[in-house]
Amino acid sequence: MSKTLKATQVDKCNGCELCSLEAQRQLKKVGLEESLIRIFRKKGKDPQTLVNSVEIDPRLNMLNIDKICEICPTSVLEIVDEVENQAK
Amino acid sequence: MIDLSAKKVLVIDLAKKESDVNSFVDLNKYLGGVGLGLKLLEIYADKEPVVFAIGPLNGFFPFASKTAVVLNDEGSIEDLYIGGSLSLRMRFAGIDAIVICKKAEEKTVVEILNTKTTFHGEAMDLRSLGLPGKRSVIGHENNKTLLDNYFTTPENHLEKAFVQKNLKGLVITGTEVYSPENFEEYQRLYKTILARTSDLRVERGVYPSCSNCPMGCGKSRVGEIGGNVLIDSLVACQFADKIYTDIGIVFSCLNVLGYNHTHEDVENLPKLIEDTIRKLSL
Repeated sequence: MSKTLKATQVDKCNGCELCSLEAQRQLKKVGLEESLIRIFRKKGKDPQTLVNSVEIDPRLNMLNIDKICEICPTSVLEIVDEVENQAK
Repeated sequence: MIDLSAKKVLVIDLAKKESDVNSFVDLNKYLGGVGLGLKLLEIYADKEPVVFAIGPLNGFFPFASKTAVVLNDEGSIEDLYIGGSLSLRMRFAGIDAIVICKKAEEKTVVEILNTKTTFHGEAMDLRSLGLPGKRSVIGHENNKTLLDNYFTTPENHLEKAFVQKNLKGLVITGTEVYSPENFEEYQRLYKTILARTSDLRVERGVYPSCSNCPMGCGKSRVGEIGGNVLIDSLVACQFADKIYTDIGIVFSCLNVLGYNHTHEDVENLPKLIEDTIRKLSL
């Protein structure tokens, strides 16, 4: 069964962008343009706080998702079965 | 593609609502950060400049995550360092420094997309500008200037500058990319440095992190104030000083990116900075 990457603990994301940068390095580039994984920052409910969200392009599966998963320092990302992911 | 052969400086004139991009090959010897920032403060001295400057490694290597803010606050030259995502956005905009000159007639929001600048009125919602996921938002409200609603600088020099310049906000988006020629070696160096978290003088935390740093430490929010000349010119995190005062590591990083800096450049940097400060103080 094919595997895919999912952000299962997005509340833990600290916005470091290491995952986006790793995905880009696998495509031999440094930058965020056309990155297959993106981190969005927005204001939190409390003053002077921010909340991160993660957007994963399904095409990320063509990359080495183990490495992308491993680089996350807060274990936001998890490798799951593709079917299981679609069902959720 | 990002051009690393010269320092690219975006000069914004708030009074005229104009901007210009200048390339300075002769400023390469100032490395970046505080070195470049001070020199630009001297070059644009008659235009009441506030300078945001990154270093040659920002965007490329872990823990090189700060942006220098260099300004003259009532005769006192200040260098402050802000974390967050700003240094990566500037790198990916292809800009080494932003010089904000003069004062806007009315409260203004500045939007930068790579080197293109657009001026908006104060009613503009900062969050509606730029490209999400590739932008930094600096906003001034309630007497505080915050980057991405979280990161700030020590003391209140930047806040004063925003008020004096009638600047309500600055949004910068970077969409450029770079591919080091020897990508394999670049990757190897990147991973080697990223693995050196035990050499940092901060503990892992649960706070928002600077881009390209996994630590999420409690120190990143408040930014830093000037210290080591090399660290502040590379605009690395001061808590990564064990890594970025290692000249061997620094030159490996510079070389793999294609910079042509020599050891003399690094050796001469303190003197260059000292001379620039002397000229600024006259």
